[in-house]
Amino acid sequence: MLRLRFDRGTLRLDGDVATPYGKWDSRIGGYRAKAFNYADVLDYLKSSGVKYVDEVLAPPPLERLSDAVNLRGYQQEALNRWRSAGYRGILVLPTAAGKTFIALKAISLLNVQSLIVVPTLDLIDQWRKRVKSLLGVDAGAVGGGECDVRMVTVSTYDSAYTQAEQLGNRFLLVVFDEVHHLASPGYIQIAEMYVAPYRMGLTATLERGDQRHLLLPPLVGDVVYTARVDELAGKHLAPYVYERLTVELTPEEQRVYDAEMSVFKDYLREKKIVLKTAADFQKFIMATGRDPRAREALLARNRAFKVALNSEAKLSLLAQKLDAYRRERVLIFTLHNDLVYAISRRFLIPAVTYQTPREERREILHKFAAGEYRAIVTSQVLDEGVDVPEASVGLVLSGTGSTREYIQRLGRLLRKVEGKTARLVEIISKETVEVGISRRRRLKPREA
Amino acid sequence: MLPSELLAVWKRKGEVMPKYAKPTPGALEAAATLIEAYQAHVGEKKKVLKAVVSGLEDEGYEYRFVRGLAFILDRRSLFKCTSKVNPIELRRRVFHAASTQGYPAKAEKRRQILLQVAAEAGMTPEAVDEYLYADLDSELTLEKFTPLTPHELLSAYNLSLTQTLLFDATELIFTAAGNWQNILHAVKKLGLIYEAERAGDFIFRITGPVSLFKLTKKYGTSLAKLLPHITASPFWQVEAKILWKYTNELCTFKADSRKHGALLKTESVDTQYDSTVEEDFALRFQALKSGWSLKREPEPVLAGKHVLIPDFSLEKHGVKVYVEIVGFWTAEYLKRKIEKLSKTEARILLLVNESLACEKLSALTKQGALEILYYTRRVPLNKVLQYLEQASQTVKSRQVELLKSLTIRFTEPVVAYEDFAAQTGLSPEAVREALTSKPPEGYVALHNAIISEEKLMQLTEQIDAAMAPTGKLPLPEAERIIEQEGIKDATSILEAAGYKIKWHGITAEKAEVHRASDHEK
Repeated sequence: MLRLRFDRGTLRLDGDVATPYGKWDSRIGGYRAKAFNYADVLDYLKSSGVKYVDEVLAPPPLERLSDAVNLRGYQQEALNRWRSAGYRGILVLPTAAGKTFIALKAISLLNVQSLIVVPTLDLIDQWRKRVKSLLGVDAGAVGGGECDVRMVTVSTYDSAYTQAEQLGNRFLLVVFDEVHHLASPGYIQIAEMYVAPYRMGLTATLERGDQRHLLLPPLVGDVVYTARVDELAGKHLAPYVYERLTVELTPEEQRVYDAEMSVFKDYLREKKIVLKTAADFQKFIMATGRDPRAREALLARNRAFKVALNSEAKLSLLAQKLDAYRRERVLIFTLHNDLVYAISRRFLIPAVTYQTPREERREILHKFAAGEYRAIVTSQVLDEGVDVPEASVGLVLSGTGSTREYIQRLGRLLRKVEGKTARLVEIISKETVEVGISRRRRLKPREA
Repeated sequence: MLPSELLAVWKRKGEVMPKYAKPTPGALEAAATLIEAYQAHVGEKKKVLKAVVSGLEDEGYEYRFVRGLAFILDRRSLFKCTSKVNPIELRRRVFHAASTQGYPAKAEKRRQILLQVAAEAGMTPEAVDEYLYADLDSELTLEKFTPLTPHELLSAYNLSLTQTLLFDATELIFTAAGNWQNILHAVKKLGLIYEAERAGDFIFRITGPVSLFKLTKKYGTSLAKLLPHITASPFWQVEAKILWKYTNELCTFKADSRKHGALLKTESVDTQYDSTVEEDFALRFQALKSGWSLKREPEPVLAGKHVLIPDFSLEKHGVKVYVEIVGFWTAEYLKRKIEKLSKTEARILLLVNESLACEKLSALTKQGALEILYYTRRVPLNKVLQYLEQASQTVKSRQVELLKSLTIRFTEPVVAYEDFAAQTGLSPEAVREALTSKPPEGYVALHNAIISEEKLMQLTEQIDAAMAPTGKLPLPEAERIIEQEGIKDATSILEAAGYKIKWHGITAEKAEVHRASDHEK
């Protein structure tokens, strides 16, 4: 008799039968299989008529779900495709296209113990609220010191990873929100260490600079549905306008910028280093650990960037824009926290960063939604997933060259409100690297 | 453990080694400067303290070293928000006012808003400005700092550095002397798997369940947490495989107590008894003075790929018995324990408290060298001793059998049983019994040794020559001749060579050696 058990993120197969997925583990003197092969192992055992006992699953009790989810046409279509693919697969939908609804409908449809994996603690709160209002049950939470496992449970990627040994056999469906995160070298093991046969991946931008998203289909399922921003914009989402404004550095800023950049460039020229790809840059960063001069060059570059990103001229223009859009809901994005707080102090605008206490962040977002606050200044924490109430203007004061960030920020502003045209304004410094960063940023936005 | 960006290492030819801070005058001075800075800045803001830290970087110390030390000092510090008004409440008022009146583009407008909030809150506008973000990390005040010596700081830094490197480890191999129970308990608690192997020392390879399928860094953090348990041993050696993330190559990290013990000095962990039953047994057994020496938490015993660390080892004359005391148990637990114990070749005595059984025991068969002894209140020492004697008898007779079955070629003219026993790890009694019952060819068995016939002949000739004039020889003279050859226990040789000793009184000086035949005449 073969005995099938869950052992800290793997399956133990005790018995004399070797299965196609089992691998001999000499450390314990028994067969072991990857947890994510659970369904395959069962299929094999059933079809080959081997007698076995299955002690793998230890799910929390089922609760009665009440389903108040109504799907729009394209959402229903996405769900249907996922069903036809065997309850597995990745759905690519722009931010604000209602991915949450599709996932909750899937949970209600399967009516099994489900884990939703999300990137941030804030998203745990949001999903729990949605689960409560649309499925009528209290969702459990794992992460941020909490560990409460229920029929529907929401976890951060971090906790789902670190606690895979304990959680891997407790759910039958796993929903990966912002599934592109799952492809990172560590997190990908979540997909391998959980037995759940049903899987759903959700994202607005699946592609990763390092191409690791190609690893996801065997673990989560193929991309079964893709909707582009331009397909939905105007119909299901608000139309948007993009505008770019350049400012000149003050003479003093320009002097400092040029001086610092020449330190950096001289070093590269001297060492014959070409920085073209992310890997080139990674190599350069490594060199800074060995060579004090490389580090000095890097610091000079960072100081130059900071001057360009935090230019006084930009703040003056920001003041004008704030006045121009005083009747709109404005989100201000910056790259560095220093600048967030500088803007917050100077214009007395609520700031949201990773340092903002959770309660206060909640309050600020709530008041912004209610219209009491007309603006929020933030660094990157709102880039993804955080359910920011609908805004009409985005002011980008600095940013990186990543395409994803650009789309996410755009997406922030695109929640459908009748008669609204969203506006994204980028303020960059002339004659600096920022021009290039901005161009790169807009290079591929329409692929989402 | 440090943030990974502070990890400083040397790396060449597939080997990776942390840049350990040796206690050089320079490093000690940097450590002392930082410790003093933290002490001197109690009551001041974190950003002021951090300025001192970056000042040290500017003086030419490696930035990761300086920040690493500061990171460790931060953990010994208590930072608090000292604002009298709640900054969150203050911000709420300010943001509300600014939202209703419009965001101030000019300094004048901003001041008006602050004035209004200040009036409401009963503060000055300057105080509103100052405390607006008093709860930000950099604005916190250092309230308490627990100092340490510069040497201790460097050791803590080096250990943290090693642990940070281990975050990216895929496996860890170690040997250690002592501290077993503690280390293997930690291995289990951290969800890791070990494989033990004996090659002189015990060598342990530590991985995790998923390691079977792929090279994974998942257990790096756990391996890092395991490290201090290993380095707390007086002797240790570790080797780890590190997946170097920048180049994706697998590097080796090696360290040992001889080279790095002083750098990675770890506070030792006390050995504690699992239970008072064990303490009681140890004290009573030692009071018996039975000749069996008791050792607590002895070296591990190999059982398949695993090891057991029995509670005690008892040893006498090369016979070793391990003792394991079982407290609360279920039949399943006992069965598993016995299964594990029976995988080893070592002799094990399992003492099971019958009254602490959690369920009725169905008959358990004893297996191999495993003996189970049930008791109800206290461990019965007489039964334990009985078992020990039996065990040493069994061992002895088995050794006798073994020796008899072997043809041993001796080259030394004289071999003492005790020396031979010590060299071979057999018991002296077994050696005596085997060699006297069947002496090797060309040898004669004496009471304490065997001697070659050739040597015996040579000695006889020497003694005969000395004896020739009178037909007798004072015993001390004969002893001198024999002992010149490096042989102890002259009397048994004399007897074996056919001499008789005639005693006149009890002192050896007056005794005489005769030829046996002469004396009989």
